[in-house]
Amino acid sequence: MSLFQSATREVAINLTSRPGARLVTLLMVALAFIVFDTFLIISWNLQGIMDREENLVGMEVFLQRDISQAQGLVIGDNISSMPDVKSVYYVSPQEAEALFRAELPGRADLLDVMGNDFRLPASLQIVFEPETMNQGRITELSRQIGSIAGVDDAVYGEDYLPGLLKTVTTIRRLVILLGIVLVSSISMVVFYTVRLSVVRRSLTVDIMRTVGAPWWFIRIPFVIEGVFMGVIGSAGGLAISAILSKVLAGAVTHRFMPLSWMTLVILLGAITGTVGALAGSYEKER
Amino acid sequence: MLVTMTGVRLSYGRWPALDKIDMEIKQGEFLVISGPSGAGKTTLLRLIWMGDRPDSGLVEVSGFRSDRIRRSELPQLRRKIGIVFQDFRLLHTRTVFDNVALPLQVTGTGKRTVQKRVISLLARMGLSHRRNAFPHELSGGEQQRVAIARAMVAHPVILLADEPTGNLDPEVSREVVELLLEINRGGTTVVMATHDPRQVPAGKGRFLFLDKGVLRGADRWTELDSET
Ligand SMILES: Nc1ncnc2c1ncn2[C@@H]1O[C@H](COP(=O)(O)OP(=O)(O)OP(=O)(O)O)[C@@H](O)[C@H]1O
Ligand SMILES: [Mg+2]
Repeated sequence: MSLFQSATREVAINLTSRPGARLVTLLMVALAFIVFDTFLIISWNLQGIMDREENLVGMEVFLQRDISQAQGLVIGDNISSMPDVKSVYYVSPQEAEALFRAELPGRADLLDVMGNDFRLPASLQIVFEPETMNQGRITELSRQIGSIAGVDDAVYGEDYLPGLLKTVTTIRRLVILLGIVLVSSISMVVFYTVRLSVVRRSLTVDIMRTVGAPWWFIRIPFVIEGVFMGVIGSAGGLAISAILSKVLAGAVTHRFMPLSWMTLVILLGAITGTVGALAGSYEKER
Repeated sequence: MLVTMTGVRLSYGRWPALDKIDMEIKQGEFLVISGPSGAGKTTLLRLIWMGDRPDSGLVEVSGFRSDRIRRSELPQLRRKIGIVFQDFRLLHTRTVFDNVALPLQVTGTGKRTVQKRVISLLARMGLSHRRNAFPHELSGGEQQRVAIARAMVAHPVILLADEPTGNLDPEVSREVVELLLEINRGGTTVVMATHDPRQVPAGKGRFLFLDKGVLRGADRWTELDSET
């Protein structure tokens, strides 16, 4: 029998003994991961909304009706020289009407009713640098732009987007915090489970030591046990989260997390299990 | 010299379990270490297989020094040493064959070599017919013979037996001592710790007496004998 085969056999012996206690640990790991996964899914979906509404990180500035196209362009130049402004686009009344007809064909009759003299106001479409935008900055910009002569009104997703930004940032921080709590607490759970295994199998460990087994040979069953609990626990948590996500899909429209995130979750489980098991199976030189 | 101890002292807590130990063990000898319970016999053997290191002084075993040996070298040392305990210490989930094969399996010895070596050893111990039994199905004497077979399977240069007859009746004890003597005649150095040195016939070995952690010189057993 090769050394590898013997080691594999020790791993099998260790894993198949005392399944009850290991099941409890697995459940705990899985439960912890379900909570974590839930926050990941929330974060992922909020991010999705953010991405879709990204073009809203901008502002629509309506100009007063007596402003000519040349004057409008000058105001546009002024605004584009302000910090954090990425681009400014002048929309003439004709263009606005064309856009209106194109985007809301059902309402085109509205324009006809208004008569030939009616013109939509000219406007400036402003896009900001998304990286530097935050709630304070966007409010300040809207005040500044609103006070420029010739500007009628500055409109942006005042109530919606900044709140969303804040929520996404908060959730992201929460996910990171939760990740840290998760890693340390699961490491502890795995640590104590592995420690218990070592104590329960202390006779075997002692015998292995006295017959000259290499240290990795003695330790590998316990390390594998930890990795096993981390991987199976996180994968199980992920599976349950996926089922819950399916069940709740009707009530709350959302997407499950992408494959890369799932891989990361399982990797996190593996790392956590390994760390806990390495610490739990560590014994000082004997 | 196979084992050398110089000025060895080892304490558990306040009182030294061993103190001022100077001794040598020559290749091929049969050494009996006796002494009352708590004298430090087990501790002395632990120092030889380096399950413990001395607080001061030096232990040298087959080229390994207690002050220099690295953690990664401990397995190499232990493969040169066979150990037998009073409580046998067999793995109850493994058969007799697998228990005996263990020291070879943990070094990755080829299957065929393991098979040959274990089977011939079990035959010599009179255990061939029990090779597929589990330890709990064996008598105490049989279990101890399995433990001795396990200790001998990897051709150790030294066999340490800590109270090997402690759990056995007198008849079986005699057989076990006889087995150890036979192993010694085969060239293996044997160190046996026992509270009763009369188990080994006079002239068959060298006798050391431990008392409260201090060595009291040789051939103490004759004095003991006359006291009783
Ligand atoms: N792990 C330990 N922790 C603390 N004290 C210990 C430990 N091992 C041994 N001792 C103490 O060291 C002394 C020597 O113990 P040791 O086991 O070597 O004696 P012994 O001669 O083998 O006794 P016995 O015949 O009962 O087996 C004793 O006083 C014992 O209480
Ligand atoms: Mg003892």
